[in-house]
Amino acid sequence: MFTGLVRTVILYILIIAGIRLMGKRQVGELEPSELVLSLIIADLASVPMQDFGIPLLAGVIPILALLAMTMILSVLTMRSVRFRALLCGRPSIIIREGKVDQREMARNRLTVDELLEELRGQGYTDPSGVKYAILETNGQLSVLPFAAQKPPTAQQLGLEVEQWELPLVVVSDGRLLEHNLTQLGRDRAWLNKRLKEGGCSDPKQVFLLLADRGGKVYLTRKDFNT
Amino acid sequence: MKRLWIASALLVFLLAVSLGNAWYSNSLTQSLAQPLREAQQLAHENQWEQARDLTRQSYDSWNDHHTYLHCVLRHSDTDQILRSFRSVMQYLDLEEMDQYAAANADLISQLELLSEMEQATLVNVL
Repeated sequence: MFTGLVRTVILYILIIAGIRLMGKRQVGELEPSELVLSLIIADLASVPMQDFGIPLLAGVIPILALLAMTMILSVLTMRSVRFRALLCGRPSIIIREGKVDQREMARNRLTVDELLEELRGQGYTDPSGVKYAILETNGQLSVLPFAAQKPPTAQQLGLEVEQWELPLVVVSDGRLLEHNLTQLGRDRAWLNKRLKEGGCSDPKQVFLLLADRGGKVYLTRKDFNT
Repeated sequence: MKRLWIASALLVFLLAVSLGNAWYSNSLTQSLAQPLREAQQLAHENQWEQARDLTRQSYDSWNDHHTYLHCVLRHSDTDQILRSFRSVMQYLDLEEMDQYAAANADLISQLELLSEMEQATLVNVL
């Protein structure tokens, strides 16, 4: 039991260090500690699940230890900037003022093909239109174009546009969500009117009804009853 | 901060449980092995009846801890020890000194290894 616990701690730290050394490109959406947790935990659970000769505790103790350590690391990364930089790394500026920083690319093991692929994915054919391209700690490349390359906003064009409201689901697959109706400041009479407009007599006939505070309504009838 | 304390408390709890288990398994295997050693001494002195009683006492104690042992140890290890206990008792019934001595020594070493495996040592971790 003790051996299992200590080995879990040692291997967890080792794998996190390994993932960090592999660079940002390998991390994906997760923090290194979360990635390691998801890598190991399934394996740890499957061993006692399949092999009845291994006590359940042999799986439970390392899993609890991993969850506790991940929680500790997650709190520490939130509290300490230095620790966060150590565990998750820092964002790297790959393109600055349209110029590619080759040293940063090498440091992050980012190839030219990968960089161009990321840029094309975000609508840029070459780095010249990019003011900054930043490789984030989660492995994503954030591309910030020069101001002249950005599409103008309604504000910049001096246009008056209608502000949108967040629509809420009022009827979902025939079920009326009363709390959302109340949150919108509407009542059953209002709903019945909207249903009638949509050619329905009962919420059970509605597949989806969305409404916002501005009075905009989206209604789809059920094609068939499940 | 609460999450940090909960996680730290959980880790400390797991460490305490594993150390407690190491201590308990050591004292349990010692309490099982000691009567077996005494039984072997008695068998050498041809006191087979007393040797059988001591071995039976150790066997019963092993069975009393069956649930605990199955929870913390590999089942193949505990099953092997159970088989060894039965062999030893069989040789005791037959009063076959050579075979009994060999089987008993094997059983004692298995119990010692079981305890060793649970100890908080660098060798085990490595």
